[in-house]
Amino acid sequence: MKEIQLKVNGEEVSIKSPPASTLLDVLRDELDLIGAKECCGKGECGSCSVEVDGEVVCSCLMLVGQTENTNITTVEGIGQVGGMDVMQQAFVDEGATQCGYCTPGIIVSAKAFINSIDHIPTDDEVKTALGGNLCRCTGYTKIIKAVQTAARRQLAAGGAPG
Amino acid sequence: MSNEIKEVQTMKEEQLKWVGKRVKRIDGPEKVTGEQKYKTDLKFPNMVWGKVLRAKYPFAKIKSIDIAKALEHPEVICVLTHKDIPGFNGFGIVTPDQPVLCEDVVRCLGDAVALVAAETEEAAKEILELIHVDYDPLEAVTDPESAMVQGAPQLHPDGNIHSHITIQNGDIEKGFEEADYIFENTFYSPRQMHAFLETEGGWGVLEEDGSLSIHCPSQYGHRDKLQIARSLALNPERIHIYSSPNGGGFGGKDEITVQIYLALLAMNTGGRPVKLHLSREESVASGIKRHPFKVTVKTGAKKDGTLIAHKLRAVADTGAYASLGGAVVALAIEHGAGPYKIPNVDMEGFCVFTNNGIAGAFRGFGVNQVCVGIETHIDLLAEKTGLDPIEIRKKNAYCQGEKSSLGHVVTSSVGTVETLEKAEQSELWKNRDVYKAQASEPWKKRGVAVATSFHAIGMGLGTPDYGAATIELLEDGRFKVAVAIEEIGTGNGTVYAQVAAELLKCDIEDIDVIQGDTTEALDSGTISASRSTYTGGRAIATAAPKMIGLMAEAAAEILQVSADQIELSENKLHVAGEEKRAVNYKAIYEHLYEKHQPMVVEGHFYLPREKEELKNSGGAPHHFYGYMTHVVMVEVDTLTGETEVLRVVAIPDCGKVLNPQGLEGQCEGGAVMGIGYTLYEDVLMENGYNKTKSFTDYVIPTIRETPVIETIPVESNENSGPFGAKGIAEVVMIPIIPAIMAAIYDATGARIYQLPATPERVYQAMQATKKQTLTAR
Repeated sequence: MKEIQLKVNGEEVSIKSPPASTLLDVLRDELDLIGAKECCGKGECGSCSVEVDGEVVCSCLMLVGQTENTNITTVEGIGQVGGMDVMQQAFVDEGATQCGYCTPGIIVSAKAFINSIDHIPTDDEVKTALGGNLCRCTGYTKIIKAVQTAARRQLAAGGAPG
Repeated sequence: MSNEIKEVQTMKEEQLKWVGKRVKRIDGPEKVTGEQKYKTDLKFPNMVWGKVLRAKYPFAKIKSIDIAKALEHPEVICVLTHKDIPGFNGFGIVTPDQPVLCEDVVRCLGDAVALVAAETEEAAKEILELIHVDYDPLEAVTDPESAMVQGAPQLHPDGNIHSHITIQNGDIEKGFEEADYIFENTFYSPRQMHAFLETEGGWGVLEEDGSLSIHCPSQYGHRDKLQIARSLALNPERIHIYSSPNGGGFGGKDEITVQIYLALLAMNTGGRPVKLHLSREESVASGIKRHPFKVTVKTGAKKDGTLIAHKLRAVADTGAYASLGGAVVALAIEHGAGPYKIPNVDMEGFCVFTNNGIAGAFRGFGVNQVCVGIETHIDLLAEKTGLDPIEIRKKNAYCQGEKSSLGHVVTSSVGTVETLEKAEQSELWKNRDVYKAQASEPWKKRGVAVATSFHAIGMGLGTPDYGAATIELLEDGRFKVAVAIEEIGTGNGTVYAQVAAELLKCDIEDIDVIQGDTTEALDSGTISASRSTYTGGRAIATAAPKMIGLMAEAAAEILQVSADQIELSENKLHVAGEEKRAVNYKAIYEHLYEKHQPMVVEGHFYLPREKEELKNSGGAPHHFYGYMTHVVMVEVDTLTGETEVLRVVAIPDCGKVLNPQGLEGQCEGGAVMGIGYTLYEDVLMENGYNKTKSFTDYVIPTIRETPVIETIPVESNENSGPFGAKGIAEVVMIPIIPAIMAAIYDATGARIYQLPATPERVYQAMQATKKQTLTAR
């Protein structure tokens, strides 16, 4: 067991964990942040995506020891029911979620993506950005649209990357 | 047709406030924020971890099982074998031939031999290693046709042929004699995996009162309850199933997955809650798959494009256990001649046991495998006669009131011709020559093609098929609508809220929908067979007038008039002609509460069905079907054989569209799953062992493979349905399969007979075509 300091969704947290635990297990089991899902356990599906120091990672592939003193954002940190982020609202409006199991990971990837650009992305740009996130229900069409809708709204609201 | 349904039918489009509108998913916010808790996200204090010991061989006798060492592990809670099953050691929706825990023999790698529970997941894994099973391996049966031969090693006492379905109509010999053209081909289809993102898992909890709670994603909690009760010798009333939401289902969670393991473990952990959650690898190895089929098809037609004879023989690899295999083959044969009126048919299907895992329910339920035969042959006929492929299909399609190829008069709504007309008018079809000339590279070729198909809705003859809903008036004047049919991603809960809000004249936010809860919701059947919109919608439409009646009685008492003077308007009941003499729903609740009157109503109904079952058909014909046409454009790389689907036009007839956004979601998801089936997906097995083990080697379409998809619904009003709706969830992935195959042909001149159409297969087909052309010169 090792005591590890993290900043998760803006809050300083201290956890005691074997340093070889995955970040995903720590988020889900220790911190009750169950938005990120384990679906393949080896970085193939993107369902466990979170942001670590501004970079989207598969939290099932990252050991918690590697994340000491980093700044982590999970889907819960992006927005919650009652205060949804522009990306989350766009996913609801466009019908871009079905079973929803992949959705938290996609929201994290998509939000990081639109924050990194200053225009409404083309279909191909969205496809490249979300190429690592599997979804079995939606056929992705509405996800592409939702990301574009969110980008458009974010730009209209001042364009400042949020 | 009940009066209530008639009333629903006569509601005019312009009167509708919720039904038919792009209502956003009511569970959307929870899903996009990660707040929605799936069953595998739940947590219970003082938990233990469960694990399953799977078979080491695809086919072997068990000589002995030794758990002594496993029991010595310091963190062990329990180790269970077949000896620990209090009731019947078997499960299976139709024939319970799959052992919960194997005793004498294992028949596939997914078979469970023992269960363990331990303090930690790591300890549970270690304990599995300490169980010693002494096997006597047997020769695995892996080829279904060899399995059918006398003398083949037998998996089950009644032999390897689980079922044999036949449908005959007319005179097949005469039909072929009269034919000007005859086409005969054999088609092979892959072992597709559902690849839902939430693997099988959940919780078993023995409650303080001695009842058992199972929290596990599933497609039919009420049936799971009965299967668990049978194996554990429990009173089903003392088992509670919480089975919604699911992180994807597609048929793969229709059968029992881990529910009985959870129940058994929970009864043996001293009251501690137990969690099981399969890794992707274990899910791939043990989960149900789509049946690989070999389908030999012979079709006869006249010069004018009339189809007159169709013969089909299908052999399906159902793996080691029955599950829904017999029903899948029956549905395949029912759909073997397509949505056409071919006067002479002779179709048969064999459902055959092998040691290749287990096959069962999967979106499309056998129709995916057989639709390619008839559709490919129609294209061959079009080519031979020079007739237009859409015209041939229109000419042969049966319409409402006509006889289908099965010989029964189809009295329900039929949209085939209309979907084909929309295909003809679609921008992609009209401008196909322009698009085909725009290939992205000189060595790439484009093709555009069309295909049509259909899919039955509901269970068919011989299987119970009913719906039920309850509506409860809540303290705040809102309503709780309970329909047990689970949410597996389709958004049926939103449709239920729409139907309820429409009929109860309230805001959609005033409806709480309860699904997947055997304690709170009446048994309403499965979330399968494209039935949940129809069934749940109609159950609510049956219950709603009773709620209105109950509220009207109360309003009459409050307003001191007779009940027949009461009218319903937005969120209130008032005296006819006097809008101001009104009471709102909250006041009605208070009145009923004070009088100690019940505030819950129930609605029950049976799905309509045909009168007579076709002999040996396993449940055909169904009463109604969804119909669909797809137009697709592909681009094939002639150097590599790689195929990309660029555009899809999806034209469904699902009756009245209750939620256009939900319909599009189904059409888009179905199209992409169909692309995966046609081009990429196959769980490869060798001698009964999985060669394909995870998402590393099982490729499902990513966002990069998604084409531009357009949905153009045709609304053939189904008189028996809620507001005229039928069903949609399966047909959306069917005609796209032969359409892609035909588009590859249109692009390259190469016909594909084996799916998936991998680059290697397409390339080889192109080479073979080239060779044929050269030899023919």
